[in-house]
Formats: sequence, C-alpha cells, structure tokens
Amino acid sequence: MKRLLFLLLIAVSFQLEANVSVYEFESIAQEKRFQQLVAILRCPTCQNQNLADSNSIVAEDLKQIVYEKIKAGESDEEILNFMKQRYGEFILYQPEVTPSNAMLWAGPFIFLMISLIGFFVWYFRNKGEVTND
Amino acid sequence: MSDSSISKSELTPDVETRQVDEAQTSSPWKAIIVVLVFVGFLGFFIWALNNTSSELPSQLIDRPVPEFSVVDLIDQNTVHTPDLFKGKISLLNVWASWCAACYTEHPYWNDYAKKKDLQIVGLNYNDKKNKALYFLQTQGNPYEKILFDENGRLGVEFGVYGAPETFLIGPNGKVRYRHVGVVSPDVFVKKFEPLIAKIKQGF
Repeated sequence: MKRLLFLLLIAVSFQLEANVSVYEFESIAQEKRFQQLVAILRCPTCQNQNLADSNSIVAEDLKQIVYEKIKAGESDEEILNFMKQRYGEFILYQPEVTPSNAMLWAGPFIFLMISLIGFFVWYFRNKGEVTND
Repeated sequence: MSDSSISKSELTPDVETRQVDEAQTSSPWKAIIVVLVFVGFLGFFIWALNNTSSELPSQLIDRPVPEFSVVDLIDQNTVHTPDLFKGKISLLNVWASWCAACYTEHPYWNDYAKKKDLQIVGLNYNDKKNKALYFLQTQGNPYEKILFDENGRLGVEFGVYGAPETFLIGPNGKVRYRHVGVVSPDVFVKKFEPLIAKIKQGF
C-alpha cells in the first residue's frame, strides 16, 4: 500500500513538472537575456507580477513570443518595442521617463524641496523672534 | 543649567500671549489652508482607494487594426483579413470557452444580433476548436464571422490581455474604442452608443 502510494506520488510529480514550459536555448547568453526580459516585463492581466512569475494565459503567450524572438536573433530593444506597441508603457515594470510622466518622477523631490524650504523659513523666523525677546 | 531654565520660564508668558495675539489676527487663513490641504489629501486617498480599475488603455485607439490572416472558426476554407472591417461599423468581441465572464456576457450579444444593426465579429481567443464550437452550440452564436485564434497571437496583436474584450471598429478599419470586461446594456449605452452615433455622422 505504501509502495503504491509512493509510486502514485512520483507519477503525480511528473505530471506537475510537465506543466511547466521549458525553453531551450543555444547559449547561456541567450538564456540570460530571456530571464532578464521576462523579469522586466509586466504581466498585463495579473498586474503585480512579471512575466516570469505569471502563469496566466497572456503571460505564457508573451513568454513564448520573447523566446521565439530571441531565437530569431532580435535585439532586446526590438522585443521591448514589440511589447510596448501592443500593451503600452505599462508592460515595462520600470516605466521610462517621458514628458507625460515626468511630474510623477520629479514630484517627490519637488515636494521635499518645498517642505524643506518651508521648514527652514518657519524655523529661522521663530528662532529669531524668540531670541529677540 | 539653572540659569537657562529660569530664563525660559520667564520668557514663556510673553511668547504665549503674543502667539495668542497672532492667532487672533492671522491664523484663520492658516487654519483654512491646513484644512484645505487635509481635505485635498483625504479626497485623493478616497479617490485612489475606489479607483480599483486595472483597465489598460488600448494602444490601437484611432489606429488601423493590425494586419492578420486568420482562418474562420466554423468554415475552415475561409481566411479573414482586416478587409472584413472595411465599409461597415463592427464590434469585435474577444471570447473563449474557458472564460467564465463570457457566459455572462453572451446573452447580451445574442439579443444584440437580433437587431441586425452592427456587424458582430467574434475572436475566439486561445481556445480549442471543439470546446469553442460546443460553447456556440449551447450558448448561441451571435457572430457573423469568427476569427479562430488558437494560439493567442492575433490577441497579442490586438493587445488583448483577458476575455471578454470588445473593440469598436469604424468603417475605415480604425479602432475607436476597446472595452475590457463584460458588456452589459448599461455599458453599451454609456460607452459604445455615443461613439457609434459619432461614426454614423461621419466623425
């Protein structure tokens, strides 16, 4: 009985393994590029995951496309542009700085400057008044 | 040590009375600004909390549909190209037999098809042929033509990231709108109809 259970478990584990897609590359460099690209591309369906971590249908399709394009000799830039054209800037985990989102990038620093200036103005004014007395 | 503490305690009454004076003259404005900033932040947070929409904007808006050449789901001998959108307003509905929300949405399209207003084209996305055909058998077939996208590549060309999705395509073959999720009568009236009216007027 125990043996049967053991064999069953092994059979099940093979089945599970078979579900994970395996990508074969000609070189380690290609494989590294693949891993890097699927790490920086966001899954459009499950938006807090990258392609590497996602098993959603569209993520599997996009991974397969990245794989095929690497094998076909396309550059990283060409692959990222392909994705951006279809899914927009959102597909990149770290969006590029563009005029439309520049405020988001600069905003925190601008707020920090304003509050620092405000603080020092307030601080020195109060200090001056107290010591004058 | 003791000197400074004495001088401080001597100072405090003066400072306090002056602060009270200031409070009476200038601080209504300060208070108003503080309250406004606070309300602004509060409003922003409430908006951000309720804004759970994860809908991505389509990259195809006001652009021609992507090039494709795809076989029909039902009639294997027919190959569809973007030409099928030329000269008429079309709705392109992305569906699949594995998509639970598509079962919810489907009755709407069955009803809509009876009106024979716009051409409804189906895009069967990442599906198995027999399952897709079974879906149509049991749920009804509102589509004039169905693009069979077995491996999801046509979906990627359209920027599809889930099903159901519905595209509104003008007679010039340009995409006007993309809705992600179930199309209900309410969604259709609010999102599609104003644009359809515009297209019919030639805009």
